[in-house]
Amino acid sequence: MSIHTEKFAEYLKYDVAREGQPLQRMVFVPHPLAGEPSTVLKQYVNGKDPTTGKPVMQEIIDALTKPLSVVETKTGISETKRVRLLEPDTEDNLRQLFNKNGWTDGLPIVLPTEDKVAEMLAGTNRSPDEVVGKMFWSYTVEQVAVNAVMAGAKPEYFPVILALAASETPPLSTSTSSMAGMAVVNGPIRKAIGMNYEVGALGPYNEANSTIGRAWGFIARNCGGYQPWPERYCGSVGNPLNFSNIVFAENEERSPWKPFHVRKGFKEDESVVSLFGTGWSKIDCMGAITYRPLHEEALILMKAFPPSTPKATFVMDPTAAWKTYREGFETPEELAEWLKENIKWTVKDYWATDYVRTFVMRDAQNGIEPYATWLRLPEDELIQPWLYGRGIETVVVGGETNAFCQVYDMPYVRSISIDQFMPNKTYKPAEPGKDDPFINPVPGAVPIKPSEPKPPSKPSEPEPPSDDDCST
Amino acid sequence: MKRYLFTISCLFVFLFVLLISSIALATSPLPEHAQKEDAKLITVLNPLGQPPPVELIPMAPRLDTLEGKTVYLVDQGFGKPSGVLFLEHIQAWFAENMPSVTTIIKEKSGSYGQDDPELWQEIKNNGGDAVIVTYGH
Repeated sequence: MSIHTEKFAEYLKYDVAREGQPLQRMVFVPHPLAGEPSTVLKQYVNGKDPTTGKPVMQEIIDALTKPLSVVETKTGISETKRVRLLEPDTEDNLRQLFNKNGWTDGLPIVLPTEDKVAEMLAGTNRSPDEVVGKMFWSYTVEQVAVNAVMAGAKPEYFPVILALAASETPPLSTSTSSMAGMAVVNGPIRKAIGMNYEVGALGPYNEANSTIGRAWGFIARNCGGYQPWPERYCGSVGNPLNFSNIVFAENEERSPWKPFHVRKGFKEDESVVSLFGTGWSKIDCMGAITYRPLHEEALILMKAFPPSTPKATFVMDPTAAWKTYREGFETPEELAEWLKENIKWTVKDYWATDYVRTFVMRDAQNGIEPYATWLRLPEDELIQPWLYGRGIETVVVGGETNAFCQVYDMPYVRSISIDQFMPNKTYKPAEPGKDDPFINPVPGAVPIKPSEPKPPSKPSEPEPPSDDDCST
Repeated sequence: MKRYLFTISCLFVFLFVLLISSIALATSPLPEHAQKEDAKLITVLNPLGQPPPVELIPMAPRLDTLEGKTVYLVDQGFGKPSGVLFLEHIQAWFAENMPSVTTIIKEKSGSYGQDDPELWQEIKNNGGDAVIVTYGH
């Protein structure tokens, strides 16, 4: 039997059912348990289960000794059947239904009628009933299209959305700590569908970026099973990034380095989306760097990240990227190696963090290296936790109004081809006023990618800071 | 003349009643089903994915009594050290109220989300009769 805090009583009804023991014997004590003093914990043990009003210890004894019911010994398979179409209803009633069931983010959606979904499906070469991925739940191409319609996406965005779905990487987490994820698009499709990789690329200033990101969240929630509390999602405070998540294209043309997808083994003319796993934190660099080189500023900032499983992704404006390049980092990997070597913690500070005590301490006590050795070192000894982390990545985006960079504690997970989901059409870059960038529908045609202009050998220096709001 | 006036009056009364009835009919709410039939109905697709089939796992057999038995108290690791402190109070309760019960406190290895099959095997090998697992938060 198990003991939990009362806050999770509703959540656990769903959770134990998913694990095959819908009547799991559980006892609840008040919430929270973590961080409470011994006197309070003693009251929990000698007190009553807040969900039943019965003494905790009597419930524990009963849970271990009362004979099992027939239902508790039941074996077999439990299956959930899904219907494809919902009951016909008015538009208003359907909107209420979607909101009430937690299928939306609370903002208006486009209702997924059969016509709208058919239009979306025309944006790919894949069969509607093909299972394209699995998170907690599996989902078909059509189910992904339903959520893409709801998010307000256009059919030409659908190959990117399908690639996100096929990555099986959600931008949400079930963690109580309210995480968000990031996706970066590279290659010709950025221009073909009009994604933003310049001023405000991470903000609400572009239809493709916004609706693709919103669709990614709907896919996790509805297709993948990340349903709202208390069914699955537990983020206590919530995360505003989850409205459209962090989805943007890389500014390949203005970067001093090879495009991100090329550094991950793809060809320059391939369209690729790269996924960065969920994280909690973002740190901003001031941008107007005058006192020290950018990489030294980054070193100071990154000491704020928890050192338990260190991971980070730099999101750099091209101006900041070129500044870093001129500081001697010919590749982002060189910057990553320098930071890993130079982010140092004292043993005392390292073992004092909650993250380390929760995630690392028991491994150290069980002899797992290097943590076991670190546990034996003098308190003032310096250690390099980032050498044992999940890596440091860099992507370049922005409109060069500031030599700015952000650092997210989101680790690189994987990159996935978008081209494999392209419709059997050729395409060209979007033009203002032209909605459909796809032309010449030819069954079986191989997509033709426009060539990208080469980046300049050296961009112009950033303008000196002015007194207006845009300078910081 | 009287007959003519009577006929005209009846006609006015009839028209008045007809007018009132029409207004009442036009302003009275329709039943919900009638409203729904009148409004344009649309059909939309279900946005939900497919949950996997769940294999039902029968619960472990229960003990007749805890008297004379060995009960392992396992902390899953979140919120250390509160989880272990909490288990120490359960251990103290058994020592005071059911002294024939042997209680052994264990901390699961790894972070809170990781399985620890070695611990489960250790409990079996050492004659554990029951396990209580706490999930602190």
